Amino acid sequence: MTGFLVKRLFQAVFVILVVTLLVSWAVRLTGDPALMLAQGAGSITEADLQRIREGLGLNQPFLVQYGHFLWGMVHGDFGRSFLGGASVGGLIATALPATLWLTFCSLAFSLIISIPLGIHAAVHQGSWSDQTIRILTLVGLSFPNFWLALMLVLLFAIIYPVFPPSGMTDATSVVLPALTMGIILSATTVRLVRTSMLETLNAQYIMVVRSKGLKERTVLYKHALRNCAIPVITFLGLQFGGLIGGIVVVERVFNWPGLGTLAFEAISGRDYPVLQAAVTILALLIVLANLLVDMAYGLVDPRIRIK
Amino acid sequence: MTTLKPLALAAALALSALGAPGAHAAGGTLTVAPFAPGDPGSFDPIDTFLVAWGNVGSQLYDGLTMRGADMKLVPGLATHWEMLDKDTRIRFTLRKDVKFHDGEPFNAQAVKFTFDRLLGDEGKKGPQQSNYNAIKEVKVVDDLTVDFILSQPDPVLLTKLAGYGAMIVPPRYIQEKGDAYFNTHPVGTGPFRFVSYEPKISLTLERNPDYWGGAPKLDKVVYRYITEPSTQASELLAGRLDIAANIPLSMTSVIKENKNLKIVDIDGPTTVALRYNTRDGITANKEVRKALIMAVDRDAIIKQILLGYAVPTASFQGKLSFGYDPTLKVVPFDLAKAREILKQQGVKPGTPVQIDYRGSDQNFREVAQAVAGYLQAAGLKPTLKGYETNVLLNDIIPNGKTGNMWQNTWGGWTFDYDNTAYAMYHSGQKWNPYDKDPKLDAMLEAQRGTYDREKRLKTLQDIARYVQDQALEMPLYSLKAVFGVNDRVKDLTIPSDGRFRFIDASVQ
Repeated sequence: MTGFLVKRLFQAVFVILVVTLLVSWAVRLTGDPALMLAQGAGSITEADLQRIREGLGLNQPFLVQYGHFLWGMVHGDFGRSFLGGASVGGLIATALPATLWLTFCSLAFSLIISIPLGIHAAVHQGSWSDQTIRILTLVGLSFPNFWLALMLVLLFAIIYPVFPPSGMTDATSVVLPALTMGIILSATTVRLVRTSMLETLNAQYIMVVRSKGLKERTVLYKHALRNCAIPVITFLGLQFGGLIGGIVVVERVFNWPGLGTLAFEAISGRDYPVLQAAVTILALLIVLANLLVDMAYGLVDPRIRIK
Repeated sequence: MTTLKPLALAAALALSALGAPGAHAAGGTLTVAPFAPGDPGSFDPIDTFLVAWGNVGSQLYDGLTMRGADMKLVPGLATHWEMLDKDTRIRFTLRKDVKFHDGEPFNAQAVKFTFDRLLGDEGKKGPQQSNYNAIKEVKVVDDLTVDFILSQPDPVLLTKLAGYGAMIVPPRYIQEKGDAYFNTHPVGTGPFRFVSYEPKISLTLERNPDYWGGAPKLDKVVYRYITEPSTQASELLAGRLDIAANIPLSMTSVIKENKNLKIVDIDGPTTVALRYNTRDGITANKEVRKALIMAVDRDAIIKQILLGYAVPTASFQGKLSFGYDPTLKVVPFDLAKAREILKQQGVKPGTPVQIDYRGSDQNFREVAQAVAGYLQAAGLKPTLKGYETNVLLNDIIPNGKTGNMWQNTWGGWTFDYDNTAYAMYHSGQKWNPYDKDPKLDAMLEAQRGTYDREKRLKTLQDIARYVQDQALEMPLYSLKAVFGVNDRVKDLTIPSDGRFRFIDASVQ
């Protein structure tokens, strides 16, 4: 187990190095933060710009700047935002919990609806309810997330003002964004649960369990579900990256003060320190999610428990 | 049935939150979603140039001069000023008995401290310094008199003292608390004082009861940072905002139909033009450039795409701009004549023209498509190329890599044509990658050298006329600033420069 964790830790460090190096390098190709800051400053001279660059430390070679960033990160210091000079660590500290909470709620919501629906569809294979579920998932798959978000806001925040349309002001704020991400995620999960359930239900041990006279509910939820958990968990692990990608759009539409919003604004504002930090944390989250998936395998299936 | 539990729980939570809105006190609380990106990150006057800062700055701080909602210059923290020593020295008499929000007195030392900071090392890191480098130094004459010694003439200086980097800051507070603390806990002399700030989420201000110009009516102003325009519209429709500054044009009709909301539109600082690549291709020919201007029906574009929220312009400025010339006429739409000129100039049918624009600017994308349509009708073969905004502004334009025409959206809070014209047309400027015109350079420099308003106005008008004659750009329109406002807000004045100062407003 320790060996496994150490190996994973090295992997994580490697992933973060590659991702931040790529992002830091690429974002520097797309424009000058000094010009961004000076936009609208009447006639600005090259000397003025040079002064701003020096103030921001942008006159140093790229690798030196990147080295500073790594050195700071190792010491837990992400530096200061180019826009206004706020501590990047502080910005991350407020944005990270918001993103985690939204991700958790979205995943929970999608599992809560997709597992029963998937099982139902598998058990009643070919029935009208199975067909309906399959059509609904197809519809769910074809929603662009921002469109779904706007529709949900229109319905549940303006026409029937049940939930706040944006922000993270009270406990109900999370409902609409989590619903948006959850619905889209569920569409695939339902299909996956249905397929692997169908496979499992045809297995001999299910026949044995049934012939013992166990209740159908126990057969499905205790014996069958556990066996189709592996593909579902694998899939959710893979989806997590997509979820993080989708969160940028959903957070923006719902003005959710999370990492996605932070990263988006940092890109458009060429705020390198904030962007590098946000990307590092997002990469860490994905690495962590994959680790959790690996550990969950062992939990649901003793055969692949790591020694 | 287990699956329904979380939903039921969520619904219960939602219902409990419904009883939340409380009754407003006398002046009330005004909730504003300012212009995107909303959060300037720092409220220190020398740190930023964002309109988002301007939305807040004039509530917290005062300048030596001030500008009313009509954009006229009036006394601010200085009650009087005079030009001395052949316009190389300005003497300001300061207002008596003014205090900063923390109780510190406002005096000549505070003015000196503000400008030493702006023009010294602290200001170096920010973008504001370059706007004020006509000031060589500030000398304290006595407690309520200061002299500004100028190193070069700057006729826009008095206007610039009314805002942004020149806002007066408290010396003792900054020295005691440090710069980083001041960034997020601003103190000034303005009508509202700072209460709290959550980065990227909100900023809360409260009434300054001791404001020298008379206390404002509102109890509180809350800024909510919402970057997505359609989200601002949703929040406004849900009744959770009093003012939304970024309303998508497509949603103005929905807001107008709502019985509690209205759309307020005012002349804004932003002007839009398609500038020409005067070096390469068919647009190197002045007559062709003129023909292209004739080929586009600006009125139709404004009516159809911008829903009327714009005014056609003849030069690269709106009518509030100092330098605007009402006698300079917009070139009328005349497709037949445009075709004829193109033919005379030997432009073959099907000649390609490329229009570069900011890809994220949805309204302009439609405008660019319409312009392309008109150019096609004139016999050309237009192509559109959308760039990420910063790539266009910071790489393509300054390095002269644009197509034949490129979007330029521009506006300065000073409302002085100098601010635009010098940057656009003077040789060697970032925004002028293609031209070197000594005649234009001379005019631009001449108007910078004089404080005579009449003379400057005439020179600026001559510049606009010359630019039109040379057809350096296809002027399109000056945008109206469009706000969504809840009817419960009374006596609201929104200044055209976006520097909010809600002194008379109240919320019922």
